[in-house]
Amino acid sequence: MKTNAQVVIIGGGIIGCSTAYYLAKSGVKDVIVLEGSDHIGNGGSSRNGGGVRQSGRDVRELPLVMYGIKNLWPTLSEELEVDCEYHQDGNLRLGKNDEHAKILTKLADNARAVGLDVRMIDGDEVRQINPYLSHEVTVASWCPTDGHANPLTTTLGFYKMARRLGVTFISGEPVKELRVIKGKIRQVITPNNVYEGESVLVAAGLDSREILSTVGIDVPMVKSLLEALVTEAQPHMFDQMLGTAEADFYGHQTKHGSFVFGGSSGMERFNKDNGTPVTNSKTAPCICRGIMKYFPDLANAKIVRTWAGWMDASYDGVPALGKVDEIDGLYVACAFHGHGFGIAPAAGHQLAKLITTGTTDISLDELRYDRFKAKI
Amino acid sequence: MNAVNDRTRDIGPFVEGPDDDMLICRCEEITKGEIRRAVHDGMWTMTEIRRYLRTGMGLCQGQTCAKLVKGIVARELGISPAELEPATSRVPMRPIEMHIFANEAKEGEEYED
Amino acid sequence: MKRYDLIIVGAGPSGLSAAIEAAKRGIEVIVFDENEKPGGQLFKQIHKFFGSKEHRAKVRGFVIGEQLLEEADKLGVKVELNSTVIGLYQDKEVVVKKDDKVTHYKADAIIIATGAAENMVTFPGWTLPGVIGAGAAQTMMNLHGVKPGKKILMLGSGNVGLVVSFQLMQCGCDVVALVDAAPRVGGYGVHAAKVARTGVPFYLSHTIVKAEGEECVTGVTIAEVDSSFKFIEGTEKHFDVDTICLAVGLSPMSQLLKMAGCKMEDNPKRGGQVPICDEHGSTSIPGIFVAGDVSGIEEASSAMIEGRMAGITAAEFLGYIQKDEMGTELENLDKALDGLRQGMFAPSNRGKLIEKTDEGIEVSESLLKKGYVSDDEIERFPGVTHKKGIHPVIECTQNIPCNPCQDACVKKCISIGSNITSLPIVVEDGDCINCGMCVASCSGQAIFLVDEDCGDGTATVTLPYEFLPLPSEGDKGIALGRDGKKVCEATVVSVKSAKAFDKTHLLTMRVPKEYAMKARFYKEAE
Repeated sequence: MKTNAQVVIIGGGIIGCSTAYYLAKSGVKDVIVLEGSDHIGNGGSSRNGGGVRQSGRDVRELPLVMYGIKNLWPTLSEELEVDCEYHQDGNLRLGKNDEHAKILTKLADNARAVGLDVRMIDGDEVRQINPYLSHEVTVASWCPTDGHANPLTTTLGFYKMARRLGVTFISGEPVKELRVIKGKIRQVITPNNVYEGESVLVAAGLDSREILSTVGIDVPMVKSLLEALVTEAQPHMFDQMLGTAEADFYGHQTKHGSFVFGGSSGMERFNKDNGTPVTNSKTAPCICRGIMKYFPDLANAKIVRTWAGWMDASYDGVPALGKVDEIDGLYVACAFHGHGFGIAPAAGHQLAKLITTGTTDISLDELRYDRFKAKI
Repeated sequence: MNAVNDRTRDIGPFVEGPDDDMLICRCEEITKGEIRRAVHDGMWTMTEIRRYLRTGMGLCQGQTCAKLVKGIVARELGISPAELEPATSRVPMRPIEMHIFANEAKEGEEYED
Repeated sequence: MKRYDLIIVGAGPSGLSAAIEAAKRGIEVIVFDENEKPGGQLFKQIHKFFGSKEHRAKVRGFVIGEQLLEEADKLGVKVELNSTVIGLYQDKEVVVKKDDKVTHYKADAIIIATGAAENMVTFPGWTLPGVIGAGAAQTMMNLHGVKPGKKILMLGSGNVGLVVSFQLMQCGCDVVALVDAAPRVGGYGVHAAKVARTGVPFYLSHTIVKAEGEECVTGVTIAEVDSSFKFIEGTEKHFDVDTICLAVGLSPMSQLLKMAGCKMEDNPKRGGQVPICDEHGSTSIPGIFVAGDVSGIEEASSAMIEGRMAGITAAEFLGYIQKDEMGTELENLDKALDGLRQGMFAPSNRGKLIEKTDEGIEVSESLLKKGYVSDDEIERFPGVTHKKGIHPVIECTQNIPCNPCQDACVKKCISIGSNITSLPIVVEDGDCINCGMCVASCSGQAIFLVDEDCGDGTATVTLPYEFLPLPSEGDKGIALGRDGKKVCEATVVSVKSAKAFDKTHLLTMRVPKEYAMKARFYKEAE
């Protein structure tokens, strides 16, 4: 089995897989991807709600996600030879009161400042776009270039194509330690093997913190258990991605007809960890109540499945992404804070470019791993 | 490491079969050929197959097809079905209407004689 | 949150048995079941069960269900129906859907007794309406009074396939063939024999090539398979059918256990994904127990014992009994379970080819290949003897755990001995009084009362008969052999029904005396 490569990527999620794919596409096929669990894309990559959106994001990461939506997402299905189910039919961020309107207006203003088309609309306009929304919705921000996709097929599509191009994937290889040899990152150690690479990318979600700590790097992250659910297939209703001012509920109707909704109970950061992301008995009922407030028509839709995933919550809400200057050859991509899916193709694309050329099209300076400062 | 962890293992080329059109997952209408192709695309665990194709993700949650899919995947990989991980089980055990799931009994409303 | 000592999921044979044992020891127990009626599969079982008295042998399954329910009710067990357990969460939290709401409960101990679901096999056309599980067919006819079809092909010769085939005929369906890819009948020989003698042809080493029809099943083609289960060209056989029943095994419904985080394994010997548990049902999570098919596919009799074990084990876990009391009780149950797991069909013998009985008698080849013991093989078994006057002929040829016949005969004409799986023998100087109790008591319908020479050139054969309408005295029809083919003309001498026979009617027919040892079923003349 191959243990030596030009690039070793730690984490077989969508960040690791997309970086591997873009590396291979650019000609760097001597790549090993190590996945800690038995399954590729087993963390947030397969557990998120599928949003591919720019609106509502922090301006520091907006340029990157805008780059992806402009240049990568439109042709992704074709490129990966899998149906990513990408829909660019806009994002409605919904509000029900003045306080919500304030939050939404501020987000919209920020976005417009960096060139994104986001505008505020009233309840009637909302229902012209999506007639199924309840009359409780009085305000929304509308970003027509946002959308959604299928995180499962997209993640596994990147994996499939990277593998086809010659990238080595090994699952069931949890990385325990990194080692610097002669001032340069070199070894990646698992319980069974020692891998060696000239460049090493740590894209292991929450586990990145522990892995990076073995070479004295710390990215401040905490975990939070996010939950989602899916209904049986329903007749087609709408194509927009939805969210709310309070970020307590989001979702869309998939190509298949089912509705995928995520939501929160308020207890996300305090859920008990039994070693696996298992759902809390109180969350799904709460999500259902939330959905029905917005979509009374869905009351009779049957829920077929609920699931949970650990979010790698960042100290300031945006990821740590780029080169670790202190250690030659080490790169990091983690702390995506529950919205890493839509940005992943762009992140992978730029990381591949960074690793191979040392430069990026979009500046990653605002997302440096060592940007975190004390408050005074 | 188990039999499916090293994704570089050569499982041979995909060869079309005479019964590739046969439906295996009835709920999501997935054929045997699609499952076999997915294995050759690198989907080597039941979890990956489910996520890639939706097999067993429909109304019956794999009650009917889980064993069938497992058999097909194992055969394609040249391993025993028992070497593949059991499918994940998730709440709810049976599909449940949103308005019922939302309607949690209050304290004291539980069943009493 | 409402908290119980013990929550049991599933009100089938194992769940109810567990509830009874727990309630006997003063435990507050509630049983949830998603169905509208309790009893699990028991109320579909209209045949008499095997085993010994302690296993409630010769009692029909649905009656056992009624007995269990009555006992549970007397002990104050709450059985909540139409209640689907949708999730088993951390900290032994159970969420139940009933009517239009969900309710959260906690328990100090939980017993999962959710049973099993039917397996499917694929062949072209397997998704056509008309291809159904044998268990589904049983539900239709025995619970809902709906005839599953008119002309039916059964795939699978295990006990489910055999028992359901017989029930389909009882319900008035025409079973055109019983098919199995295996080279030998999988279920009890006595179950096969009672199907075969009614005229159902067995096709071993055969399987379905395709189901035919556009909108629904209109026919089926089967073909012979070789030792590697490949079709042999030119062996295709077509049948016009409207229904294809699949009896190809069961899979444990173990999802709740997996959800709760119990350690699981994929164990083909137990039927699929099962929790790793000890012999009394303790899983890897303290306080979560299992019983019945969910922990490994067997049958209802063993499920009831496993249920009792789990109930007792949970009682000890909850502090209602001491370890030594539990030990004594479990020891007795171990013995009872061992009793059921004896003989040729014991779990330990699965997949083994058994050529001789424990008595050293060669097993009937014909029984395994065609479903009936051939005329020239039957004489070698100890239940088949000859004497003047009426005497029992016991066509029980395999070592199975069952002994009601020995107790049924007040004259002690039948002996099995202390080993429950021994073949019954007819005691040489026994004085048969033609009471018929042995015929009615045999769950395998394998006992006949024969008077080989009535002195007028005829013989009489009394056989168990469970079809309606009942023939009447004086009716003329035909006698079928063990192979289901006509052997001779027959006249009905009498049809006896009695409460003690428990709905097995005793049909006595007169046949020419040369057919006394051949005629085994009565059919009305066409």
